[in-house]
Amino acid sequence: MAFIAPDRPMIVPLGDSGILVRFGEQLDDAANRAAIGFADSVLQSPPAGVEEVVPSLVSVFLRYDPMQSDFGGICGELRLRLTGRPSAHSPNTHIIEVRFGGADGPDLEAVAAELGLDAPGFIARHNALPLRVLTTGFAPGFVYCGFHPEGLVLPRRQSVRPMVPAGSVLFAAGQTAIAATDIPTGWHVIGRTAFRNFDPLTDPPTQLRAGDLLTFRAI
Amino acid sequence: MLSHGVSASGPMDRRSFARAGQWAGATDGTGIEFTMAGLALTLVEGEVFAAWDGGEFSVNLNAGRLDWPGYTRLAPGDRLEISAGPGGNYGYLRFGGKLNLVPVLGSVATSTRARLGGLSGRTLAAGDVLEIVGVGAAPRSPQMETREEGPIRFLWGLHAELFSAEVRQAFVAAKFRTSTAMDRMGVRLGDESGVFSAARVLSLVSDPVVAGDIQILGDGTPIVLMRDHQPTGGYPRIGTVITADLDRFAQIRPNREISFAPVSLDHAHRILRSQTP
Repeated sequence: MAFIAPDRPMIVPLGDSGILVRFGEQLDDAANRAAIGFADSVLQSPPAGVEEVVPSLVSVFLRYDPMQSDFGGICGELRLRLTGRPSAHSPNTHIIEVRFGGADGPDLEAVAAELGLDAPGFIARHNALPLRVLTTGFAPGFVYCGFHPEGLVLPRRQSVRPMVPAGSVLFAAGQTAIAATDIPTGWHVIGRTAFRNFDPLTDPPTQLRAGDLLTFRAI
Repeated sequence: MLSHGVSASGPMDRRSFARAGQWAGATDGTGIEFTMAGLALTLVEGEVFAAWDGGEFSVNLNAGRLDWPGYTRLAPGDRLEISAGPGGNYGYLRFGGKLNLVPVLGSVATSTRARLGGLSGRTLAAGDVLEIVGVGAAPRSPQMETREEGPIRFLWGLHAELFSAEVRQAFVAAKFRTSTAMDRMGVRLGDESGVFSAARVLSLVSDPVVAGDIQILGDGTPIVLMRDHQPTGGYPRIGTVITADLDRFAQIRPNREISFAPVSLDHAHRILRSQTP
């Protein structure tokens, strides 16, 4: 298999109406930054025929109209863009206020214990550094944020909760995620925020962009 | 809208939806999708042209049988009743003019997964009242197409190379069976010959998902993702059903044998461009 790396991305078809530019096969910081940078630069002036540009964790998805446009032509254009310097849009910073623990975060105590911390110690470490929005996905307005340092990495729960409420702050895999709608999840629920990253009546419906920085604050 | 975590939704069988719209003189992208559960409605007031297509359902106007597909003009008090027929999972009822719905995120589709669009993002329920506004366009008879038979055509997918050459050959040679676990999000397939029985649970990074993706769950169950698919997914995807065959696939009822045949991207585009409408 070809080895994909942030400086050696791979352009592949995804179905007959989509193209995926992959910057990695595993989630890491460099691949995520490369994907976000490339999506930004393509969004500034999309190649003719490209109808949607979607940054993901380590890849960028582009949708085109197969009735009108030519896959090879778009790929050629994307290859040219890849050689350019990725544009660095200045990220916005957001403060996310979270009620940690209790009924809002039923897994907080167990998560802290698993990491050899008490709850206040975990909250302090969790909030110590801003996290980057890695991508939006899975559900409307759902954001993945990372990365926590090594001492704050836990796998997901064994079992999936069939429903957690909108605003749930979730923790697993070295990341913190925020649910904008009611969702099922196998992540640890550590708190809840009043912030909602999804409003179908506004345009765009989400406020957070991949690359934005989030500072978590306990209330 | 994928970048906001919402998949596109829309009709499961796009071409049947389009044909019903041509018959009816629809002026936008609104219409009603129904399943084998059927649909009955009464025109409360006014007059409107209505047309139906998709699958093979049975349709009655005031207890008199009409053709499927077909159309009629409805007058106040007319009752149109649609029930399951010999084939197909999804049918469409469209009108001259448009259904008065508030577009959400640029679409009038209902996504029951995201609970958006249509009537509060839910399926229709008995007693709902829908309003048709505007004047219909001149109805056109759509070009009838010959029904496609044969294997469902697909492109090798994002993770095809994670499957061994033997498994890829077996995938193309085997018969699968549609299951009753099918809805607008996906169709689970029975794998009686055990093509994927040795599937391992792989930990893959999540990548964007498209309608038609054939993903293999950790227990070896193949599932074809449909219009209300999740926006991203981390299960290995061996292939993607081509756009030209996804409508046909959506109409295959549970417990039918199907097989898959690979095509090239060029070929998929040529088939799509030769299709009507």
